[in-house]
Amino acid sequence: MARKPKPERADVCIIGAGATGAAAAKVLTERGLRVVALEKGPWRRKESFGGDELANVNRYNLWPDPLLNPRTVVRPETGATGPVVELFCPVPQMVGGGTVHWQGWLPRFTPNDFRLRTVVGDLPGTTLADWPITYDELEPYYTRVEWAFGVSGQAGANAAEGPRSKGYPCPPLPLSHYAKKFHEGCHALGWNAFPTPQAALSRPHNGRPPTVISAFAQQHGDPSGTRSSALNVFVPHALATGRFDLRPDCYVREISVDERGRAKGAVYADADGDLVEQEADVVVLACGAVETARLLLLSRSGRFPNGLANSSDLVGRNVTFHEYSAAVGLFDDPIYAWAGGGYVSASSFQFYEHDDSRGFASGGHIACAGVGIPLPINWGLPDRPLWGPQAKQMDRDYFNHSMAVAMVVHDMPQHDNRIELDEKVEDAWGLPVARVTLTPHENDLAMGRFLIDRNGEILEAAGAKKVYRVYIDKVTGNCSHQHGTTRMGDDPDSSVLNRWCQAHDVDNLFVVDGGPFPTGTGANPTLTMMANAWRVAEHIAERWPDRASTGA
Amino acid sequence: MTDNRFFDAHQRATVEAAMARMIPTDDTPGAREAGTIDFLDRYLSGIDFVFAKPDGSGFETLEGKQAWAWEQRIAALRDTYVAGIEELDRLARERFSADFVALTEEQQDWLLTELERPAQEQEEQVADDQVRAAWTPPEPALQQSVVEIGLAFVPLLALHTRQGFYADPIYGGNRDRIGWQVIGFPGPQSLADVHSGRYSVVDWFADRRGYPGTEDDRGA
Repeated sequence: MARKPKPERADVCIIGAGATGAAAAKVLTERGLRVVALEKGPWRRKESFGGDELANVNRYNLWPDPLLNPRTVVRPETGATGPVVELFCPVPQMVGGGTVHWQGWLPRFTPNDFRLRTVVGDLPGTTLADWPITYDELEPYYTRVEWAFGVSGQAGANAAEGPRSKGYPCPPLPLSHYAKKFHEGCHALGWNAFPTPQAALSRPHNGRPPTVISAFAQQHGDPSGTRSSALNVFVPHALATGRFDLRPDCYVREISVDERGRAKGAVYADADGDLVEQEADVVVLACGAVETARLLLLSRSGRFPNGLANSSDLVGRNVTFHEYSAAVGLFDDPIYAWAGGGYVSASSFQFYEHDDSRGFASGGHIACAGVGIPLPINWGLPDRPLWGPQAKQMDRDYFNHSMAVAMVVHDMPQHDNRIELDEKVEDAWGLPVARVTLTPHENDLAMGRFLIDRNGEILEAAGAKKVYRVYIDKVTGNCSHQHGTTRMGDDPDSSVLNRWCQAHDVDNLFVVDGGPFPTGTGANPTLTMMANAWRVAEHIAERWPDRASTGA
Repeated sequence: MTDNRFFDAHQRATVEAAMARMIPTDDTPGAREAGTIDFLDRYLSGIDFVFAKPDGSGFETLEGKQAWAWEQRIAALRDTYVAGIEELDRLARERFSADFVALTEEQQDWLLTELERPAQEQEEQVADDQVRAAWTPPEPALQQSVVEIGLAFVPLLALHTRQGFYADPIYGGNRDRIGWQVIGFPGPQSLADVHSGRYSVVDWFADRRGYPGTEDDRGA
């Protein structure tokens, strides 16, 4: 590796140009700061996306290739170091990150999500904590993101939602056949249901046309450029300022520190494989909770022998992952649950809030969808054989007649569930990979059983002739949500970051992905991550230009 | 390698016969009619047919680390096929005194089931280690993509037959889109249709009636 001359110093250097890095870039550049974003992956334009299930879902066209980006897993209850895992909680590594290929369910967290320790009390084996910020503090930023990003939804329809200062910019998308079944089931049971707030436009907004209704949406990039994503919205907003230098194919290997122990910049390998150091007054990490923790742990120095910002030994700990599972129903009438991509959905928070009488803590968001990725190759049913006449017959009978009611488990934070550097396995760039150590808490499994049973009841109430209940018995990392590895809090002994997501140990270092979340909550996290990134970026910008000398 | 193929004539005939048992021909077309063998043989020929260009104008040229990864992957898949075909023939000769391709469909099914059994046991053994991410056949693949390398021969053959039956025809199978027709999926005429925004499934998408319990719930 050659070392290239240093580029011009930036005001802020953001590592990772996904949902939160792009949100922060937009806010910072619009407030006059000069921002460099270093993105490990490519910058793909809409012309590079297509309606190709095989490439996108099965062949790592968008998912990280596990031969290049492996992760390892340790499951303490088995007593063995796990083998290299192909995919554990993967997220596309490219400009736009996970928002490139999602359909984007964007519910807000509820006020109690920010004070779950107070609501639940002590739950043995967990490190439940209240957030250092409240729903009310974040609410203005939820509204900013919903309106800038372009979210379609129905204000007030979710009975559990906290107060909102403004409705959604677009009404809900059309009612899909599968969403209709979900509403019918919930209505029959007397449960609250609402159109899932989606990262899509039901009508023109901010000069953008409505979102194209294709079968190739969930886990596909968008060739029309009409979905709401960091790639389609925040990146163009930041570029329009003329102050945004977005560098793809730049893999940050280390956050460098100066003689005073402050962040100096980022050392990265560029597209040619040459080493470059980008200096900046402020460094913002937005790599996703797993990779951000990994980068901090990789940034070891004499002053920070256990990794940067890690005097608490909490970097990487309390990681949570949201295992995804579902009840699956078969119907006599066709549902076409691939249409629109399979995730233009309806939701319920009926079992979201904590209820002591259930015998477990907290709850989760449930919503309808196609079965898995409900396109011809990857659609399936739990009892379909691997091959043979019966497998073919089930494809013919149920491909158009099946749907899922899904949930993400709100897995509890635990001190020993953590991300570390693997001692043996390296990625294709020669750096130690993230090693996940994970034991599910009994609360996670109990909640999963409860929610899957409720999901099955919704399908039955909607008239399903057969219902499968797919319970979880472990956390396999089958969801892309990740949180908690750099939790925020007021006490430096029990948190990595303060309420401004600023490292207690390094005052010009911030984290804006899911890492700061003290709890994972039971809802899809990206809206809250982007809102929080916006809040933090505004804080950084407001303290400019004196923040380099005074800290926060 | 000529004609973008990997298998020799015997290997190709053996795999084609086995694929015909994975998705059999009945009153509707099966793997044979869809050309799933063409899909697989070309896939294994190298790294020139991994990703179609999104506008359907050809295939991407892989470079750098991505090319390296796919060379590793294709090599591993070839090994699994070569060994699997040999094992299939060995069992066929041991049990029925003929090569796999010469057997009846019932005999072929019996052998494939037999060959699958140890793989199933192995799968249970490694289930706790989560080597395989989402391709655990008893459950729907929920949010993650399917992992190919690491699969035993029969599950791999089942997966590739499925891919060759249902993937976009540009990959060499799903001839005349017959896989999609069998299950009633109104797929695009071509990748270019999706790429240009011409492809829409709005006719299959939405119920024209409103939400249950509201005054819009009355048909339209």
